Amino acid sequence: MSTGDTPLHTPLSGAPFPSRRLNRWAEIVWRVAGGVDVRTKILGMVLALTTVLGLAVTLQVRAVMTRVFMEELEGRGVSVASDLASRSVDPILLNDTYALHELLSETVNNHPDALYAFVLDRDNQVIAHTFGDAGFPVELLNPTLAVAAPNLYGTIRHWVYATNEGRVHEMIAPIMGGSAGVVRLGLTEARLQTVVNTVTGQMILTTLLVALAGIVAAMILTWLLTRPILDLVATTKEVGRGDLQARAPHWADDEIGTLADAFNQMVADLDASRRAIAEKEQARFLLLKKLITAQEEERKRIARELHDGVGQMLTSLMVGMRTLQHSDAANPAAHRMDELCATASETLEQVRTLSRELRPSLLDDLGLAAALERYASEFARAHPDITVDLHCDLPARLPGPVETALYRIVQEAMTNAARHGKASAISVLVSRRANTVQAIVEDDGVGFDVAAVRKRQSSVGIFGMTERAELLGGALDIESSPEGATVYVEIPL
Amino acid sequence: MTRVFLLLLIISLLAACVGAQGAALPFVDLSVRTPLPQVAPAELTHLRIGVAAILSPQGTVASYSKLADYLAAKLGRPVDLLQRRTYAELNAMVEESQVELAFICTNAYVVGNEQFGMELLLAPEINGESVYYSQLIVPAESAAQSMADLRSQVFAFTDPMSFTGRIYPVYLLQQMGETPERFFQRTFYTYSHDRAIEAVADSVADGAAVDSLVLEYALQRNPALASRIRIIHTSEAFGIPPVVVPPTLPPRQKAQLRDLLLTMHTDAAGQAVLRELGIDRFVEIDNAAYDGVRAVVHATGIGE
Repeated sequence: MSTGDTPLHTPLSGAPFPSRRLNRWAEIVWRVAGGVDVRTKILGMVLALTTVLGLAVTLQVRAVMTRVFMEELEGRGVSVASDLASRSVDPILLNDTYALHELLSETVNNHPDALYAFVLDRDNQVIAHTFGDAGFPVELLNPTLAVAAPNLYGTIRHWVYATNEGRVHEMIAPIMGGSAGVVRLGLTEARLQTVVNTVTGQMILTTLLVALAGIVAAMILTWLLTRPILDLVATTKEVGRGDLQARAPHWADDEIGTLADAFNQMVADLDASRRAIAEKEQARFLLLKKLITAQEEERKRIARELHDGVGQMLTSLMVGMRTLQHSDAANPAAHRMDELCATASETLEQVRTLSRELRPSLLDDLGLAAALERYASEFARAHPDITVDLHCDLPARLPGPVETALYRIVQEAMTNAARHGKASAISVLVSRRANTVQAIVEDDGVGFDVAAVRKRQSSVGIFGMTERAELLGGALDIESSPEGATVYVEIPL
Repeated sequence: MTRVFLLLLIISLLAACVGAQGAALPFVDLSVRTPLPQVAPAELTHLRIGVAAILSPQGTVASYSKLADYLAAKLGRPVDLLQRRTYAELNAMVEESQVELAFICTNAYVVGNEQFGMELLLAPEINGESVYYSQLIVPAESAAQSMADLRSQVFAFTDPMSFTGRIYPVYLLQQMGETPERFFQRTFYTYSHDRAIEAVADSVADGAAVDSLVLEYALQRNPALASRIRIIHTSEAFGIPPVVVPPTLPPRQKAQLRDLLLTMHTDAAGQAVLRELGIDRFVEIDNAAYDGVRAVVHATGIGE
């Protein structure tokens, strides 16, 4: 039952019946039915069904039996009464009272439902009866009582009255058309009523037994139905507490089983996704660490390059110029100037190389294709034993971030192929599709175990490539075999 | 749920209760019993007519009730028609004056006359004579041509005291030097002539001896019977069954009854009654008319 201000169940939506009273009843039924648990609902349904069915069948059978029995009783009464009437003729005409009495007694004794029989003569005097010596219920002779008895079966009249021994059907049969009197036969319903009551009792007992069996069946059914649901609820709570290893048991291949499976799948997916997030987090952490390290390395390299290369050149230039300052001779001066110019020019070249290595200005100025071509030729120069085959099918400039990402990914893939793959040929294909741009870097090296490398989280390079692609909503896939490795990148535009 | 269930239960029980009750019936307490009221003695003295079971009880009522009604109208007092199963019982009633008038068998008269002086009143007359015969009948399909052919068969007697139905066939056997016990396989009593005819017609009995008047009357009533039975022997003529009165009947009453019966054929109502009885009129008869019967009775020794 609902408590407090918050109802535990929603009320009936709208008004399902046209009558207000009916709706009110429906509301009450809904409130009662909605307020109890499933076990009580099923139990109630089973009990109500069996009881209503049992009672209805019992009542119906009882009514039919009573009607059939009463018809049969009347039919039997009519035949017995007409038999009595015809067999009474001779004893009455011969004044054989004893034979008449014997006839009545035997008839009553031989018919289980016969209560009494008596014969009245023409003057309504009782000439024989089966009530014995104790006297006669003279009330039966009251002429106003049976007067309304209709002629039901030919000449035989039938009427029903109540007695202290139950209802009695009386048949009144004329003897010799009434000229010799009438015979009246009383049949009691008691025996048939007992049969009807016995059958009714048996049926009610059966109904009770069926209801009992129904209770047991309902309890088993309820247990079968609610057990998986309760398990599911418990598992949900465990998952809610953070235990993603919790699984709901699959009890049966029904809807609840499907629900449990779907729930388990959901928890498994959640677990996997959480694992993936953790892995990615870990990789990002490593990347960040390596980025910082790489940044420091790069700075150290630039500092060394500046100190060892450009610094030395500039120092030597400064020493040359100071020597020139303190010298007066003109001729040797021209020779010295040429030397200084060469040093300055070399320094400028070193600065340019450094600058290009940091970021190719071509990428910004002429686009990805030109930058990649430049890179490929430099790569070929740096690695003379590797053949580089580059195809760029880019009719127009791509967005800046995409060009940068693709440039760095191709750069990383080629470096990897040269450094780890021992490749002798590298093929690069960049092409524009309808809404994407695709890059494929293929080498003929020894390949590597992609899953192991990914799992080790040691390869910042591979992770960096993936991150670059995913940051732009794209995807990166690596296939590797002992015959070589292929990197596929696709970035949406 | 529980409330709904309870509601259904209550409705079912109510329906059951309503179904069980019917219209209010009259009530009789069968345990209240009192002695039957005594019949008040009749204010008028009834005339009691005894009729011997020549016909079956119902046949007797059919034939004699009109006579009773006629006499009641003529005498101005109720008439009771009394029957008994055997001739002997009716003879006893005549002897004890329990009847004022009796229609009985010839042998019953012969015996009653000898035993207690039963008095002849009148006798019916048919076709100008007051005689009848004993006739031996067999089923139509029977091959029997005479009493001798009925050896080891089943034979129906009418009444132990019946002249035509028992004494005459026993007399016939006696002439052949036989007794019914030896001659027949089995015998039984039907206690009326019309039942004996039915027994033969239905082949319950292989033969019977019956009153010719009853047979003729039965054949008139039911012509189909003729095809089911066959008469193989007719006796000599005997005195017709008479109308008798007890010896103690007051002479005035005896004279009144005689006059009434003797003049019946003179009025229309009386003629109708006589037609119903199958006779023309009642006539005076002499005791000697029954000597032939007496001879046969004495020869057989039955009833002595």
